[in-house]
Amino acid sequence: MVYKVNVRAIVIQGLSILVLCALIELAAGNVMERMKESLTVTLPALIVMIPPLLDLRGNINGALASRLGTALHTGVIEPRLSMSAELKVNLASSLILSFLASATIGILSVGIGALIGKTVHITALLVIAISAGVISGIILAALTVLVSIVSYKRGWDPDNVTAPLMATIGDLITMVSIFLIAILAG
Amino acid sequence: MAVYSLRRILWESYPVLVVCAVISLGAGLVLSSQTESINALPMILMMVPPINGINNNVCSILGARLASALHMGMIEPSFKRQKVLKGNTNATWLMSVGVFWFTSAIFFAIALISGRGVGQSIVLMFAFFVASMVAIAVTMLCTIGLAFVSFLKGLDPDNVVIPIVTSIGDIMGVTCLLIAIKIVIGV
Repeated sequence: MVYKVNVRAIVIQGLSILVLCALIELAAGNVMERMKESLTVTLPALIVMIPPLLDLRGNINGALASRLGTALHTGVIEPRLSMSAELKVNLASSLILSFLASATIGILSVGIGALIGKTVHITALLVIAISAGVISGIILAALTVLVSIVSYKRGWDPDNVTAPLMATIGDLITMVSIFLIAILAG
Repeated sequence: MAVYSLRRILWESYPVLVVCAVISLGAGLVLSSQTESINALPMILMMVPPINGINNNVCSILGARLASALHMGMIEPSFKRQKVLKGNTNATWLMSVGVFWFTSAIFFAIALISGRGVGQSIVLMFAFFVASMVAIAVTMLCTIGLAFVSFLKGLDPDNVVIPIVTSIGDIMGVTCLLIAIKIVIGV
């Protein structure tokens, strides 16, 4: 088999999806700038956990999307919106991981915040980490199933289209969750 | 027969997620140590998700492509000149230049609209662009290296390479951004 790297095709395909992702990331950035008060004054240790929480969402849903992509291609899961046992295990694992890992991030951020001498509001930070992680986890899990099935039916490449798109939408939804919960938690 | 085991997915994923969280916390730590810069230019906060998100997307795509090419034997796990490897890095590089120019131009527009002069807006645009280029160059190198290592050790690239690359990307993105901004605004 002759394998040629078609640089032009990769760039054109990749760029269109990346430009869309850039616009969504700008919206997430806009939310983050609006949180400047909370991030620098009221909850100074909160900023420490923003990169890991955004990253976590991408990691859990990237793995979910790639498992679903494989499962759809091998016929383990059918491209219908019905709850099969396999789909249940995948969804349950991603939600349990969201909870466990967000709690871990919350605890680590509290520890780091205390070490670097920031004012640490332990309860507020833990509540924000866990609820933002779990709420965005539930929304994203549902979206990932939907997008995986749609992209399977339309023949989109899961690596080049679905994964970047889900990671980016995850950033925006996580930022908005953190923002709303930070307001509620005072 | 159950194809997926809940326990196995949790058991395999949780340690990687914690390692990634610890690396990404480094990015958070860098941000929290620079509150003076953030207060002087709150727009930095608006630049964080785009530089990290795009950097991570671009390098995840590269990581996934390299993993497939390694498994199909089109790339050897070494840094010597190879056509397929070169094609993939060139494509990744071109994509990043394109998408980061686009994003930098938007930051120029945002700076201009928020009442900064044309000169300062151009400076901010270039600071963001240069920071993103440096961050992406380093993250790309890490992606290639990690893809080789994981291939040689038989680790699953989806579960290991991409999560770790995105965490390294977070640190690179935030660090390059803050250094670039510090240079141009001096705070």
